Amino acid sequence: MADEFAKGLGILTSAGLAWMVLAGWYTTKSFEEGQLLAPPPTNPDVYGSVGLFLKDALFWFAILGALTFWVVIPLLDQAREALAERGS
Amino acid sequence: MSGNDTPETETDGGTGIVPPDDETPTWSERKERTQGLSRLTYEYFERARREDQDLRQESSYVERDVLGFPAWPHEMIRNLALTSFFVGMIVFLSATLPPEMMPPANSSSTPAVILPDWYLYWSFGLLKLGPLNPELALLGGQKLMADRTYGVLANLVIVGAITIVPFLNKGAARRPVEQPFWASVGVFGVIFAFTIAVLSVKNLVPMGSHLLFDLTFLLPFVGGFISYAILKSMREGYMFTLNRRYYRLRPPK
Repeated sequence: MADEFAKGLGILTSAGLAWMVLAGWYTTKSFEEGQLLAPPPTNPDVYGSVGLFLKDALFWFAILGALTFWVVIPLLDQAREALAERGS
Repeated sequence: MSGNDTPETETDGGTGIVPPDDETPTWSERKERTQGLSRLTYEYFERARREDQDLRQESSYVERDVLGFPAWPHEMIRNLALTSFFVGMIVFLSATLPPEMMPPANSSSTPAVILPDWYLYWSFGLLKLGPLNPELALLGGQKLMADRTYGVLANLVIVGAITIVPFLNKGAARRPVEQPFWASVGVFGVIFAFTIAVLSVKNLVPMGSHLLFDLTFLLPFVGGFISYAILKSMREGYMFTLNRRYYRLRPPK
């Protein structure tokens, strides 16, 4: 239980940190308003397109990874326990 | 341990997991232990306790009654790890996301929006309680004091109320469900701190000014009543579980 929480938290924070840095590089017009969420640049170079892809991938990894370890895996464990109890 | 002629005091609870120095397990052996963090913690504390005991048994070591871990290496390693983490975080962020260099402040022009720092919004909001300043019939519809004086007095009242809370309730409850009234007072305070902060920036909130003013004082009561009702209804179940545990531990004669 605690391990699962730590894994989810680790994924959320580290992937979120990397997403924040990439979003600060590629989708930030100004730090005054709309930072990290500005529209992506049109016609990015190779590094830019890789960075933009990584940014989206890390964003979803942060959310889905944390949800996996906090919700899906505990749900599966509980369902397995319940099934085992019903079976016995 | 086997093959040891000298009788050794058993310090590890019979588990044999505190190795002598020549039997320290390799990393692969350590990795084969799959019980995880609890085991590792147990080994760490057992090892630390053993080292502490060895130190005590040396003649030069002053026997002391205080249980504790030596500052070196235990505490220092942890502190260095924490310090390194935060320093590394600062270096990483300042290297990857350097703050924008804004144009220098112009001291001869007043900025459009004047606000204190966000953590002082509540106090700033209390200065805007003009509509609550009563017009007294005794004074012929005049107000007793100016709105700004009233706002400053409101600050004193709020700070005074927060100050006397610890004298009214010492916080003996470990969980909100144990004292629903004081827990809901806390919820009231938290919501009021938020709504009064929103009131202080009312020109930025897309809402009617009067509605916002009413909500500022209604929402805390709503939240307080709801949390009181929830906690009060939870308390029966909580006490039931508590009593069941207690009687399982000490069955009645």
